[in-house]
Amino acid sequence: MKKLNLSKDQIQKLALSTIGFIVLLYVYFSFFLGPLNKSRNSMMVSINDLQAKVAGSKNEMTKATNLENQASAATTRYAALTKASPEGAPIAWFPPRMKIFFSNQQIDKTTARLEGSVPYKEAELSGWTRHNWMLDLPQTDFSTLGKAIAELENTEPLLSIHHLNIHALPEDPQFQQVTLNVATAILKR
Amino acid sequence: MALHLNLLHEEFQEQRQRQRDPLKIGMMVLGGLGALMFLYYMWNAYQTLGIRNRLNAVQSDWSKVEPKVTSAQKRSAELNSIIGTTKVLDGMIESRFYWAPFLEKLSRCVAMNAQVTSVDGTVLDDNRGVNVMIEGLAAGREPRAAAEELRQLLLEQLGQSYHDVKVEFKTLEDLDTLVKIGGANMAMARFSVSATFNPTATGKAAATTPRTPKK
Repeated sequence: MKKLNLSKDQIQKLALSTIGFIVLLYVYFSFFLGPLNKSRNSMMVSINDLQAKVAGSKNEMTKATNLENQASAATTRYAALTKASPEGAPIAWFPPRMKIFFSNQQIDKTTARLEGSVPYKEAELSGWTRHNWMLDLPQTDFSTLGKAIAELENTEPLLSIHHLNIHALPEDPQFQQVTLNVATAILKR
Repeated sequence: MALHLNLLHEEFQEQRQRQRDPLKIGMMVLGGLGALMFLYYMWNAYQTLGIRNRLNAVQSDWSKVEPKVTSAQKRSAELNSIIGTTKVLDGMIESRFYWAPFLEKLSRCVAMNAQVTSVDGTVLDDNRGVNVMIEGLAAGREPRAAAEELRQLLLEQLGQSYHDVKVEFKTLEDLDTLVKIGGANMAMARFSVSATFNPTATGKAAATTPRTPKK
């Protein structure tokens, strides 16, 4: 093989060409192709992300529509239950409501006293408060009371009687005095 | 053999040297490589432009869909909350103890010769059970038997609807006073009965034939 005899001048030129080549590669990859690829990759990631979101959104909307159909009974029921809690402080409307209710059941002079209110432990009932009331029915007879309680339990679904005390009036045993401790679930307004 | 003299050999050598100039060759290689790299860059840039157009189209699609999706998600969360709340409230409504049927059963158990003077009932926490204390008077030739009849009737009546029914006398004592029933003087007894039961599970129907109080 023929040995390549390069002069000093030629070696210098060769070294200069090599340096130029290296600089060219560096500039090309660092300032041209690199940023272009980086931008392309980030755009691809964004496209995939958005496409996944768009595909997911179709599912989400279908799910919401199905849920809307399935929940129609629950929403109607919920609307009916919330309707039982009028605007304003419960102390303002619950005692008069009870007074009118028992008056319609032929039991007069009913009084309702708020004993306390506590939040529910259940996370689902975070918007509701349990109010404990004492209802005092000073004079009634047993059958009227039974009918009134039946009506109360049927018309006030969010009310539960947790203590009941009936005792005959000493001066007139035909009539009884009744105390009811009730709890009501009332929507926070 | 003829002798050839090359008088231009110096010129030829210079020309050959010019052709073999490493800088010139290097520049040519660099130029070629640069052209290739430029073409490759342009190709990539063209592809990137295509991707950018695709991205713009997808972004435009998403911007159209996004408000609908956000509102759908909001509505879904709201509906799930409503369903959850309604379920819990329905559970509460269904698990509450109804006093009216109990009072009806009690009224069926009280015969003409008995009088209930006090009823005190409590629903235990979490509807684990119901305690009722019933006080009253019974009259008859054997007033204790009349009170016992009331207790047994109550046990039977409650057993038809409730679970774990217990009806026990707390007190049963004769009284000195007499009462007139149907023109005859009858002795009296005061009783106190404690009834406990679990309303959550339906009790087994009483095996015996239902009894009715003596009128």
